[in-house]
Amino acid sequence: MAEGDVEWELSKENIQPLRRGRDISALHQALSLQQEASNSTVCQHRQAFEAELRVNDGEDPLDVWDRYIKWTVQTFPQGGKESNISVLLERAITRFAEEKKYYNDSRYLDIWLKFAEHCPDPLDIFRYMQSKGIGVLLSAFYIAWSEEYERMGNYKKADCMYQEGFKCGAEPREKLMQFHRSLQARVSRHVMSAIADQDSSEEDDAMEIEEPQRITLGELKTRGKKKAVAPINRTGNRVIKNPRGLQMNAPLGPVQNSCLMVFDENKASFVPQEPKPESWMALPSSRAKENEQRPDKWTNIKMPQKSRFGQVIRAPPSRPNFQPFVEECDLPPTMTPCKINPSVNLVLSARKLCREETPLKRLQSHQQQQRDEGRAPEQSMYCKELLFSGATEFCFEELRAERFRQKLLTGTCPCHEGAHQPEACPSRKGAHPPEASTC
Amino acid sequence: MSLFGTSSSFGTGGTGVFGSTTTDSHNPMKDVEVTSPPDDSISCLAFSPPSLPGNFLIGGSWANDVRCWEVQDNGQTVPKAQQMHTGPVLDVCWSDDGSKVFTASCDKTAKMWDLNSNQAMQIAQHDGPIRTIHWIKAPNYSCVMTGSWDKTLKFWDTRSPNPMMSLQMPERCYCADVVYPMAVVATAERGLIVYQLENQPSEFRRIDSPLKHQHRCVAIFKDKQNKPTGFALGSIEGRVAIHYINPPNPAKDNFTFKCHRSNGTNTTTPQDIYAVNAIAFHPVHGTLATVGSDGRFSFWDKDARTKLKTSEQLDQPITACCFNHNGNIFAYSSSYDWSKVERKGPALEPRPPPQASHGAVHAGAGTGCRFQAWSRPICVI
Repeated sequence: MAEGDVEWELSKENIQPLRRGRDISALHQALSLQQEASNSTVCQHRQAFEAELRVNDGEDPLDVWDRYIKWTVQTFPQGGKESNISVLLERAITRFAEEKKYYNDSRYLDIWLKFAEHCPDPLDIFRYMQSKGIGVLLSAFYIAWSEEYERMGNYKKADCMYQEGFKCGAEPREKLMQFHRSLQARVSRHVMSAIADQDSSEEDDAMEIEEPQRITLGELKTRGKKKAVAPINRTGNRVIKNPRGLQMNAPLGPVQNSCLMVFDENKASFVPQEPKPESWMALPSSRAKENEQRPDKWTNIKMPQKSRFGQVIRAPPSRPNFQPFVEECDLPPTMTPCKINPSVNLVLSARKLCREETPLKRLQSHQQQQRDEGRAPEQSMYCKELLFSGATEFCFEELRAERFRQKLLTGTCPCHEGAHQPEACPSRKGAHPPEASTC
Repeated sequence: MSLFGTSSSFGTGGTGVFGSTTTDSHNPMKDVEVTSPPDDSISCLAFSPPSLPGNFLIGGSWANDVRCWEVQDNGQTVPKAQQMHTGPVLDVCWSDDGSKVFTASCDKTAKMWDLNSNQAMQIAQHDGPIRTIHWIKAPNYSCVMTGSWDKTLKFWDTRSPNPMMSLQMPERCYCADVVYPMAVVATAERGLIVYQLENQPSEFRRIDSPLKHQHRCVAIFKDKQNKPTGFALGSIEGRVAIHYINPPNPAKDNFTFKCHRSNGTNTTTPQDIYAVNAIAFHPVHGTLATVGSDGRFSFWDKDARTKLKTSEQLDQPITACCFNHNGNIFAYSSSYDWSKVERKGPALEPRPPPQASHGAVHAGAGTGCRFQAWSRPICVI
């Protein structure tokens, strides 16, 4: 066990903290697996979850998603791209977006809160949830929202959230009260320290109100004749929560035009810009999509090489051949040659569509599709929803193999439904002459 | 019913149903039905190589078995032997000398079946179901290549329990094809990798998928000098891409075409799109055959970029196909491919349920293997 402790200590910075804490054995296992660079057990486990997602349609589909997400979070302590966690969260949310019965289920709320953590602007998400009524009867919702405000320094709104929670009758009430009390304690502590600091400091700054963070000493003075001031980002514990983007919510000097919600009792209070609750058509964007680029070609230049098959590859002409990919819809049923430019340009490449899509657009198109059912010009004659209902895709054989496995587990014959006894099944007994088959 | 030598077999499918009130959608092409077909869907078919006299057909099925039939010159089929796995068989292939058959199964193992002694022994083990199996015969080595859903590609000499080589893939293997010295593997998430097999297998190139949907089947074609030069890739949404590895002009030479869709030019009604289940190339003429979930098979000429023929619609999807070594016989299997599946309570059920015929063995009880004789040479212009 001592060895295990050391191991964990060595990669502390790679482990994203969880509110509920991490299961230490799972953590050790995850870290050791990563060191070995072997992911086959993880792969199998994930495949098992994906299969369960498709096969299981009992009373509570949310349960599978919930366990899958919890397992992913425990198994991938860094929470990076490999874990696929953001895709998973997004799929889980869209899957149950219309199912009102889960709106006040604490597991569903959990998923939403994790999703909000991964977003550049969690407040947007909270407002959306409120407008839809997701989680409004649970204390955890108001606590999380209030903590968000507190992180931004807006104690007034943070307090408001608790009032809102009491008003809506959120459960469990004691928890709400307890967290409210601790918020009040923090606020009063901060106010005291703010007063104390202001007395002693010479500069008249608006400070970031975060206790653990070092108080800023002052803005950086510009040198030289240039008066333009670069924005100052004091990184705080904000960044830990959002590994993907820099947040501009850190405190800035009074020179900066600040439209931030910086709460200071002693200064003239200003109204934080709170957008009116509006009807939300779709989810706000979950992550900075432009920061996630698929690897692409840099340039069209190609060096002539000798291929292994003995042919010399000639470089394609440097002048771009613009032949956009044309989808021909109404041609007679002969082969329709469609021109593809694998080597030429990125602007009209077939993959561009994926890159530009945001979750907002996806959810909207998903809802649009549900409304327009039956009016599509093309219909896919296969079980599309089943193939793509998890975080990764499945093929028909995988679906079928899963069913086979399930039947094997429950002891019924995979060959045919009903019609005969399981003991006569060839898959159980071994070889038997084909003519005598009763399957 | 003899098919060889009569050119009417091609046209009978269509004319046979003219004017008749009942259409035989079970076998509309009036092809020869194989006797004793497997009890569940057929996943793969393979004809024996030229080194074996006569034509032997191997078919693997979801009933965990692999069956061997001899196809005689008069078109009759004789069941010869059978082997079992403990899970559904996903792929089969022959060794180059025709003495052994390799079978890959969902039970994560692959077996080598010696036809002379009718013994099968396990030669490979994976962490997940094995989806593809191919025999590689190189000048300096020969081995079996297995692609699995555990994201690895392993190479086995059949004598050792450990693989000769194991290559990691980015995603699960969905289909593969081998024509020495080239191997193509198509994976989940539209991955496409080409391997070169000279000296030892290694990754040659990763290709951006020319298709927008999930990859379903792949087949390598050869050029006039009988060297592998490219491949055809089919997706689950009625489209096949022809892709050359080193074309002089990629923009012009590579293309895709739509297939296995209903309604043709009729744009008023929605077009139904079906999955392309398998692709096979004619060994002599270089034309390709595609079979789909719509229950049809079609022949195409990729150089002239035309469709040669489409069959009548069968009552079930066609799941696998292959040509024999000289291209005289085309075999295809009609059985449930699970493209239409719905959830029924805690399980997945095919919709509609497969046509099980009351427990007795009936030629084509929801499954069938049929032949089509290619009696006319196809001219390539």
